[in-house]
Amino acid sequence: MSEDRETRLLMISPGSELTPDQLARMVHSMSPSVTVKETCYGCLVEGPREVVREARDRIREMYPNEVFSKVRAYPAGDPRRCRAQHGTRPGFAQLESEWEFLSKVQHGLECVERGEGPVQMEKEEKLPVDRFKKICEANR
Amino acid sequence: MIKIAQLSCGTEYSSVQYEIEKAARSVGAKVVYPDVSAADINAAVERFGFRPRSPQLKLMIARAIQLADGLYDADAVFITTCFRCAEGALVRNELRRFIQENTRLPVVTYSFTERLKASQLLTRMEALVTIVSRKELLAREKQSGITVGLDSGSSTTKAVVMVDNEIVGKDWTPSGDVIQSATYVLENALAEAGIKLSEVEAMGTTGYGRYSLGKHFKAKLVQEELTVNSKGAVWLADRQHGEATIIDIGGMDNKAITVRDGVPDNFTMGGICAGASGRFLEMTSKRLKIEVTELGELADRGDWRNAKMNSYCSVFGIQDLVTSLGDGKSFEDVAAAACHSVAEQVYEQQLQEIDVRHPIIQVGGTSLISGLVTAVGEVLGEKPIVPPNSQYIGAVGGALLSSGFM
Amino acid sequence: MKVFIDPPNSLVLFDLVERFGHEPLSSMAAIQERIDKLEIDMPPMNVTIDDVIKGLKYAGIEVPSGVRGRLALWGPLIDEAEAAIIMDDAPFAFGCVGCERTQSMVKYLLKRRGIPVLHVEYPDTDDEAKNFVIQAKEFLEGLK
Repeated sequence: MSEDRETRLLMISPGSELTPDQLARMVHSMSPSVTVKETCYGCLVEGPREVVREARDRIREMYPNEVFSKVRAYPAGDPRRCRAQHGTRPGFAQLESEWEFLSKVQHGLECVERGEGPVQMEKEEKLPVDRFKKICEANR
Repeated sequence: MIKIAQLSCGTEYSSVQYEIEKAARSVGAKVVYPDVSAADINAAVERFGFRPRSPQLKLMIARAIQLADGLYDADAVFITTCFRCAEGALVRNELRRFIQENTRLPVVTYSFTERLKASQLLTRMEALVTIVSRKELLAREKQSGITVGLDSGSSTTKAVVMVDNEIVGKDWTPSGDVIQSATYVLENALAEAGIKLSEVEAMGTTGYGRYSLGKHFKAKLVQEELTVNSKGAVWLADRQHGEATIIDIGGMDNKAITVRDGVPDNFTMGGICAGASGRFLEMTSKRLKIEVTELGELADRGDWRNAKMNSYCSVFGIQDLVTSLGDGKSFEDVAAAACHSVAEQVYEQQLQEIDVRHPIIQVGGTSLISGLVTAVGEVLGEKPIVPPNSQYIGAVGGALLSSGFM
Repeated sequence: MKVFIDPPNSLVLFDLVERFGHEPLSSMAAIQERIDKLEIDMPPMNVTIDDVIKGLKYAGIEVPSGVRGRLALWGPLIDEAEAAIIMDDAPFAFGCVGCERTQSMVKYLLKRRGIPVLHVEYPDTDDEAKNFVIQAKEFLEGLK
C-alpha cells in the first residue's frame, strides 16, 4: 500500500450512546471511497490520507467529545497483526485500557467546553518522620 | 499443527520475531500468543506475586496464567527475553518454573540478541515438536530387532548396533566429512557385531549431521539430539522411570535436560557463548601437550584452587591457563582448574535455567574425562552417574527409537 | 508543531494533540513507515538488524537489543520533535511501550532536547481528568 494510506481507529467513549454500527454507517455514508470496518469499540477507517482525515473532522464536528481517534500502523486485516493468526497482540490490551479511560477524557472535554477552570488539588505529602515516630510510640 | 505459545519481551524490536516464527514453521509448528484482556493483566500479576516494572513482562505473566489455568490451548511453551535484561531474565526463569509446576507442557527458555537466526532455534523447536507429536515413540523403553543409531556430532561421530535391547557393536571417530565419518564408524560397528548392513531393520540419525545422514542412509528416524540423547541416557543409566537431569557437555554446546520417565520437559542448550564447552578442554590439552583422554586423570591428581581460572570465554580462559603455567603451577593443578572452570560455567549458564532433578546423569564424550565429572560433582554437591558407554547416548537413543518404526 | 507523545502509542494523547492543532509524533507512524516498505520483509514490524544497530546511537552494546530496537524507532522522532506531552504513570503501556527501561530513556532524551515538555499525571477522578484536559489544551494552544 502506498505511503498515502491512512488507517485510523475511531473509538467511542464508553460514556456515549453512539454505537459502533451507527458510527461505521455514518463514516461510510459521508465518504464512500474509504473502507470502514466496524469493531467492538468503534470502527477502523482506511483510505487515502486526505479523505480519511476529512471523515475524522466531520465526525469530530458531530461528536466532539465522544469519538476519539488515532492512526494505526498496519492496514486493516493485515495478517501480521490479525488476531485470528496468532492471538491478541500486545497493543490490544493498550487499546482496551485506554477505551475505559475515554469517559474521563470526555468529561474533561465537556468541562473545558463549558469554560470551566481547573480544580484546585491538594497533593498529600508523605507523613513527616517525627509525626510517624509519634504515632508508632503512641501505639506501642 | 502444533501450537507453541510464545511468552516474550523484545522480540519484535530486536528483529528476531521473524526468525522465531521461521524456526517454528520449519518444524511444522506455529507460534501463538495466549489471549488476554487488559483486565486479566493486573489480576495475573497480583496472583503471580512478581511485579515487574515493564508492562510487556506483566503481559507475559498474564499469558502464562492463561496457559496454567487451561484457558488457552497450546502444546508447548517458548519463553524468551532480551539477553542482558535483568528484569526479563528473572521473569523468564520464574515463568518457566511456574509453567512446569502448573502444566505438563514442555517448555524451553532462551535469551536472544539481535543476531539470533532461525537455525539456532531449530533444534530447540524441533525438540518441542518431537515431545508433543511423538509421545508414544518417546515412551519406548526397549530396543527390538536389529537397529543402528548414528550420531553426527560437532566433534565426534558415533555408531551403535543394537540387537534385542543389547549393544552388539559400536565405534566413534573425530568428525570430518559427515557421510564419510558416519560410514567409517558404521562399518566398524557392524563388523564388531558381525552383522551386514542389509540385515539392519531400521536406522536412526541424530546430531548436527542428522539430515544428511538420514537422507544418505534412508534412516527411518531423523531426530534432534535433545530427545534422542535423553532416551539414550536413561536407557544406558537404567533410569527409565521417574525424574533425572541429564548433563551433556558437548564439543560445541552444552545441554542440560530434565526428564520425567525419560521424556524431556525442559532443556537448555548452548546459549550466547560456547566458551564453556568441551572444546575448551581440547584447547587445554593441546596447550599441555597431552591427549584429551589423559586430561581427566591428570586433573584428578591436581587441585583447582591452586590455579584459578575465572573466565566465561575460552580465549580468556586460555590466557589464564598460560599465566598459571608461566607462574610455575603444575600441569595437574592447571588441568583441574580447566575442568572446574567448565563445570562452574555449566552450572552458571545452563543449570540456572532449569530446576535440577535427581539423579544427575552425565553423558557425552566429555563424561569420560574423569576430572570433569569430579568437578561437576563438586560444583553441584552430588556425584553424577556416568553410565557405561556414556559417549554413545545419541547413537543408542537413535537405535532404540528407530526400532519403533519397524 | 510536531509533538512527541509518550506513551508513543497512546490514543488519548494522539487525539488531543491533533484536536488542538498539532501533528502528533507517534509509534504508529514510525512503524507504518517500516511496514509499508515492500522491499524488506522482517515481519511483523520490519524492524531489522540494521535498525537495532542504529539504536547504538542512543544506547551502548551492553544494553539489551529490545531497548536499542525501540530507541531506533522513537529516537528519530524525538530528534524531530518540537514539543512533547508525557503522561506519567499511565496504567496502560503495552505493545511498543512494553519496556520500562526504554521509556525511562525516552523521557530522558526528551529532557535533553530542551524542547517544551508537559508532564501530566494519569487522572484517577473526574476532577483530575478535567485538569488533565485543561493542562493539555493550554500547553498545546500555547505552542507557537
